[in-house]
Amino acid sequence: MRGSTLLSECLAVLGKEFTAELRSRVALNAIGLFAVTTLVVVAYQIGPYKIAEQDRPHVLAALLWIILFFAATSGLSRVFVKEEDSHTAKTLRLAARPAAVFAGKYLFNLILLVALDAVIVPLYCALMGYAVSGVAGLVLVLASGAVALAATTTIVAAIIARASGSSTLFAILTMPLVLPLLVILIQGTRAAAGSGEIGVVLPALRGIVSLAGVTLITSVYLFPVVWHE
Amino acid sequence: MNRPMLKTLLPWLLCLWMLAVIAGAFFYAPSAAGFKGESARIVFFHVPQAWVAVLAFCVNLVASIRFLRGRDPLDDARAAAAARLGLVFSVLATVTGSLFARVMWGSFWNWDPREVSIAILLLIYAAYFALREAVPDEERRASLAAAYAVLAFVTMPFLVFVVPRIYWSLHPDTIIGATGQLKFQMESRMRQVFLASLVGFTGLFVWLYTLDVRLARVRMARSRGGEE
Amino acid sequence: MIIFETVSGIRVEFRDVSKRFGARTVLSRVSGELSAGRVLVVAGPNGSGKSTLLNILAGLVRPSRGEVAYRNGEGPIARSRWFEHLGVAAPDMAVYEELSALENLTFFARLRRVDASRERLSALLERVGLPGREHGRTVGTYSSGMKQRVKLAQAVLHEPPVLLLDEPSSNLDAAGHETVAGLVAASRGRAAVAVATNDPREMAWADARIDLAL
Repeated sequence: MRGSTLLSECLAVLGKEFTAELRSRVALNAIGLFAVTTLVVVAYQIGPYKIAEQDRPHVLAALLWIILFFAATSGLSRVFVKEEDSHTAKTLRLAARPAAVFAGKYLFNLILLVALDAVIVPLYCALMGYAVSGVAGLVLVLASGAVALAATTTIVAAIIARASGSSTLFAILTMPLVLPLLVILIQGTRAAAGSGEIGVVLPALRGIVSLAGVTLITSVYLFPVVWHE
Repeated sequence: MNRPMLKTLLPWLLCLWMLAVIAGAFFYAPSAAGFKGESARIVFFHVPQAWVAVLAFCVNLVASIRFLRGRDPLDDARAAAAARLGLVFSVLATVTGSLFARVMWGSFWNWDPREVSIAILLLIYAAYFALREAVPDEERRASLAAAYAVLAFVTMPFLVFVVPRIYWSLHPDTIIGATGQLKFQMESRMRQVFLASLVGFTGLFVWLYTLDVRLARVRMARSRGGEE
Repeated sequence: MIIFETVSGIRVEFRDVSKRFGARTVLSRVSGELSAGRVLVVAGPNGSGKSTLLNILAGLVRPSRGEVAYRNGEGPIARSRWFEHLGVAAPDMAVYEELSALENLTFFARLRRVDASRERLSALLERVGLPGREHGRTVGTYSSGMKQRVKLAQAVLHEPPVLLLDEPSSNLDAAGHETVAGLVAASRGRAAVAVATNDPREMAWADARIDLAL
């Protein structure tokens, strides 16, 4: 009973985020503009032929995640910062359980990340001539990566919204927490690109999924403290 | 012996102890085989510094959790004191480490997993203080910083354990892998100095930490006193 | 018209509540009680801590000293569940500007698990003085008085047993003041109400009064 009402409250928050975002498009514009700009610059200046054959697996995987990660950080803190900026945070705080707020905002960020992946990754592969042997493996890495990145960025967004709300602070706080994750993601992407076997991405997947799990569980405990502070 | 006397005596004892460790590191311990020149002697300082940086991280975590449970401002002061020392000692460990790396492997930075770990620890401490700077309200600063400390702590193990394992499974022939683990057997006089140094640096940490917390306690008492 | 069928038994007691922000003392040893059917007016000049007191009563701010307790018939209610019994309107509480008035109310009704039907919420908006043709416009296009009406509707939407109103008539015209008076009168029958105000017309509602000094 309590669980199902929590789900419906969480979906209410998610739905509100979507309606508001589709009308203001602040986060979408920030993320989309950043992603497209960096992608165009990288494709135009480096392109498929400027990287030596033996460097390709390393450079292409790293460049892809640099584009994805920085595009994501440019917009994902909005979920909480905008509530503080527009003075709706207090209204929401008095109307909803913290768990519903966190879950709704987490899902929203997750969907934004998946959408970003879905648009940028195929474009990147086409523009950079990135031949991926294990498409299924890459999809798994991208999906689990989105689950983990959304977890870290959502809880850090909640923290910085209660601090200064600046995106610089968001980047400073996110960086050390996601560096291990980014390293694993780049390794996983490289592995998937190099081989069609699903098995090659398993070590990376284990790391990503357990990191996501630990971050999510910790966030569920920490969020009420951060949100109500 | 009564407590106040012990309190004045202990720092002097610590001072003597550290002097003995420094002297021992250079004159008592023999030079280790398999290392360039006398470079191995840095281990007597480098490893204890790294240990204190990690110890401070743990003290910071415990104080942060205690703050979140009891909301005692003194616990926040404890967490901040531990983080301040952690920052200093992780800088020291990074600097001594890269000096050694320069001598042994020819470059200051080699992306050894341990080097990456301490660099991230440094980043975490820097982020922790950036967050504290950004919040003027004391109570809010304390809880946000504590939340971040807990979050950072649970992410750290993934760096230490997950990243190197995958790293090596893909690159078994890394140059650093074989030498970076400090696997050399310690000769007994070296071990004596090494352990003494660990104790000394831990004592140094405890002393500085206590001073910082005492200072915070006095400040708190004064601001409360001025109020009433 | 909302029908209040149950008389709530929730009481809010606060004792010796003090609040300091750094070196500045905002509240010093304030005590009182909110109980069903009574209106507590909190008066005092700007900066005397009216809003801070309401924030403390709502559980949004921790007092530096003193205690606040919510009690129903059985006993104390955990702080983390106070919000379920509360309706609050305050100048620093906005509703979502990207959503329409009706969408805002639907969102808050779903969060609070109360009837979110269009008919009920439209009727509520009419009741706070927003004519039907305005319900579909986004709140960002509203005047500040109209926004204030949406905020008031948000506060009473779930018929809360405890109602905290901080300057409820700010930005409102004479008709708006009548709306607030109507809401308070309707709540008086069953809810505990606290109003922070400097408006002499609103002070007249008081069953009890706390005067805060600078």
